[in-house]
Amino acid sequence: MTAIWRSRSFAVVAVVAVLIVVWYLGAVLLNLQPQLDTYQRSGAAVPALPQLINDLWSQAKPILPAPHQVLGEVWNATAAQDITSKRSLLLQGWITLEGTVLGFLIGTALGLLLAVYIVHNEAANRSLMPWIIASQTIPILAIAPMLVVGFNAIGLMGLLPKALISTYLSFFPIVVGMVKGFRSPDQMQLDLMRTYNASRWTVFWKLRWPASTPFLFTSMKVGVAIALIGALVAELTYTGGGGLGVRLLTGSYNGQTVVMWAVLVVAATLAAALVVAVGLAERLTLRGMGAQPA
Amino acid sequence: MTRFQWILAIGAGLASLLTALGALPDASWGVLLVFGATAAYSALRFIIAAPVWMDGVLTAAEVIGVFSLLAAPSLALWSALIATWLLAWLFIERLSRSIRAGAAPALGLLVPLVFGVTLLVLWEVMVRGFGVPDVFLPPPSTIWGKLISSVPTLWKDFEQTFIKGVLSGFALGSIAGLVVAILVDRSPFLKRGLLPIGNFASALPIVGIAPIMVMWFGYDWEGKAAVIVCVTFFPMLVNTVAGLNSAGRMEGDMMRTYASTYWQRLLKLRLPAAMPFIFNALKINSTLALIAAIVAEFFGSPIVGMGFRISTGVGRLDIDMVWAEVAVAALAGSASYGLIALIERAVTFWHPSVRGGRA
Amino acid sequence: MNKFIMPMLAGALALAGASSALALDPIKLQIKWVTQSQFAGYYVAKAKGYYSDAGLDVTIVPGGPTTPVPPSLAGGTSDVAVDWAGEALIAREKGIKMVNIAQPYNKAGLELICPKDGPIKSEKDFPGHTLGVWFYGNEVPFFAWMHKLGISTDGGATGVTVLQQAFDVSALVQHKADCISVMTYNELGQAADAGFTADKIIQFNYSDMGNALLEDGLWVLQDRLADPKFKADMVKFVQASMKGWDYALKNPDEAAKIVVAADDSGAATFAHERYMVGEVTKLMGTANGVLDKAVWDRTVQALLDQKFLTKQPDPEAYTTEITDAAFPK
Repeated sequence: MTAIWRSRSFAVVAVVAVLIVVWYLGAVLLNLQPQLDTYQRSGAAVPALPQLINDLWSQAKPILPAPHQVLGEVWNATAAQDITSKRSLLLQGWITLEGTVLGFLIGTALGLLLAVYIVHNEAANRSLMPWIIASQTIPILAIAPMLVVGFNAIGLMGLLPKALISTYLSFFPIVVGMVKGFRSPDQMQLDLMRTYNASRWTVFWKLRWPASTPFLFTSMKVGVAIALIGALVAELTYTGGGGLGVRLLTGSYNGQTVVMWAVLVVAATLAAALVVAVGLAERLTLRGMGAQPA
Repeated sequence: MTRFQWILAIGAGLASLLTALGALPDASWGVLLVFGATAAYSALRFIIAAPVWMDGVLTAAEVIGVFSLLAAPSLALWSALIATWLLAWLFIERLSRSIRAGAAPALGLLVPLVFGVTLLVLWEVMVRGFGVPDVFLPPPSTIWGKLISSVPTLWKDFEQTFIKGVLSGFALGSIAGLVVAILVDRSPFLKRGLLPIGNFASALPIVGIAPIMVMWFGYDWEGKAAVIVCVTFFPMLVNTVAGLNSAGRMEGDMMRTYASTYWQRLLKLRLPAAMPFIFNALKINSTLALIAAIVAEFFGSPIVGMGFRISTGVGRLDIDMVWAEVAVAALAGSASYGLIALIERAVTFWHPSVRGGRA
Repeated sequence: MNKFIMPMLAGALALAGASSALALDPIKLQIKWVTQSQFAGYYVAKAKGYYSDAGLDVTIVPGGPTTPVPPSLAGGTSDVAVDWAGEALIAREKGIKMVNIAQPYNKAGLELICPKDGPIKSEKDFPGHTLGVWFYGNEVPFFAWMHKLGISTDGGATGVTVLQQAFDVSALVQHKADCISVMTYNELGQAADAGFTADKIIQFNYSDMGNALLEDGLWVLQDRLADPKFKADMVKFVQASMKGWDYALKNPDEAAKIVVAADDSGAATFAHERYMVGEVTKLMGTANGVLDKAVWDRTVQALLDQKFLTKQPDPEAYTTEITDAAFPK
């Protein structure tokens, strides 16, 4: 049992504490000018320091909301809110989650298929990889509106266009990671399979696929976080049906600054939770496969 | 030829035959010649082994044939398109195989090129053949036309977004990631505390961070650079930390026997060993930086810039301008990725992935 | 025999019920922005059953900044759409043949506001300063105005520097622009909340200056009007919509509540929507949504001057047939 000051939790707590102090200071600095402007415009005098600080940390539309404002809003919108109400960020998060998970699953499947094809076919390797990389340089935010209209025009509405935009973003880490993973077995191991006269299919199932498991989970962790961003981008374009992205957008047009920060925190927490879920799946799978912990 | 290649060859042959027959009533002799010849050639394959370059020549000829059929869309057009696609695929397959068997490696560039050109041909013919309106999806020829005629505007946008925003943000973010990684390496306490926080911070969606950064740092390049720093900092940090840890223990011990200081070990052993990881992060960051800059411009900018042009183009239904900007973005992103990959090969010449087989 | 009568009766009743539900024609309305009281009339008409009474099953499809309205009509995502005349006429010239069938908004809600203690006191002070403008199709009136004043938009000492601002008032609060664009029914209220109340700002209202271009109107695709059934549906739609607007005018509190309930994202608040309903109703034209030809002509002229359009739109760009049939004189 390590001493408390050497443990991970202590370090995290200490860093978070420092960050919170810096955050409060930042809120004072950044919100100062508009606050002074407000005093000037309403003709009031600049109050004494304690009152000034209090005002700075409770502005209605701050440039940098204080941590207690953000956390308070998060609490109001999640735990203190009826989950069936549209104001609940849990409900909005669930809507976004549906798009994310569906997009992620399709993206993983697509990525795996492409990786298998690229590893086994030389022409695919030379022709597809450069274009897959180039496809990620296209800003999805630019073509998402056109994609959604196109999908609607061929009859796909609602959840599926959102999921497909998630797929577009999340298939890339899977392809890159799994190509590396399928190629990771040692030359010696490949030679051994050759001495057993193993077909390409057997080599794949018995050697390449198990060897790529660490790469699979690493890529899935990256892919699931990116799938969430894809779902948010899709929601910015397709605002019907709600979701965290729509909430972010509408919140910004209604000038609800603190709500926007709360949505950000909820979205980041959601992404972190998804990554943890993938990590859990990884541990279970690796344990079932008899792998040693790294 | 493998079984798959035979399937492609026969498919291309049949489609070409269909095209030649379908075009018989009213097409030019050139079209009939090309498609008829391909059909006949495919039949000949059973008897004599065909050279690879002939497939390439026939593909090019069929592309020209497809475009001349485009003027009057009919069933022949679609079978011609399928024939061209299958033949191009066959050509790529055979070319790759011959490069593997020892043909000139420089020909390797041809494979993705032919693939790309085939995609563009498919795009152009399908959009024009189906009569898709320009406001949905313009064909590549229209986009090219717009690109050529708007070079000054595109250059000004590129200057604003890439040169002023991306380069500064990319440099700042990467250097910040490197410095913090070295700090984290120096202090195990920071490693335990900072990395989980960084994990969480990297999960903050860019579409939420961008408006906040633009609000804080302004609408000009500073705001864009701030967004880019937020996005590129973490991949750089994680990869550098992993890279610094990847240096061999034995080499580190040997340096210690020479009474080296921490900084000497860092500069002479661990940073060079970390280079593959650092370049991995730089490659990822180069594409992320451009996308981050464009997203940032959606939330406020002066009236110049790639993101600005794209967002206003979508609003004004100037879709061909949007695609021209997207093409420039894709080109810039791929070029920066390629440039960094080239520098990587030079710097990490010692790494197995560069010396041995595939990376 | 008896044991068949009850099931048959039940079956007949069920069929009757089902067929009356089948009698509702599905209509999708694409609105220009996210769910907000700018479109209160349509949400009210739906909530109060005016559409279903007229035999229409209306689904309202929200839009947003990256969702241009014309492709939604052209791609079949919607059957009728709310759009500003500028965007619709540009789309018409590019091949999406949209036709204006009604014009609920006669006045414009667009304004440019500048703080009274700032450098801008009147139009003469614009050159050499930074003005915030929205794009996504909302920039047409601004550029038309600058063209009318003869001021270049390329910056420098004699022109104005244009800033593509976000859809909030942060550019004003942080002094990034000397003046910003607002809608009377949204950002103007946010500016007031931030301390820039009416007595502290100079308002350049496009309608008051005679620079207003047509804002929210109802548009459909020209080809669909050839179908008499669709035309009849549109007449019923316009009637029910204007009835909804009428109700919203007279019952703003309830209208605001309806809009808040209709917002899927849960962001709408009663206070904000109630403010918006109050402002929006000031922009309504006649109770019949009839197009004001003078404002139409001015809109077209501004688009031509600014080269957003290359030629005069043909007379079929708008039609009074629907409003004439909906509200016979």
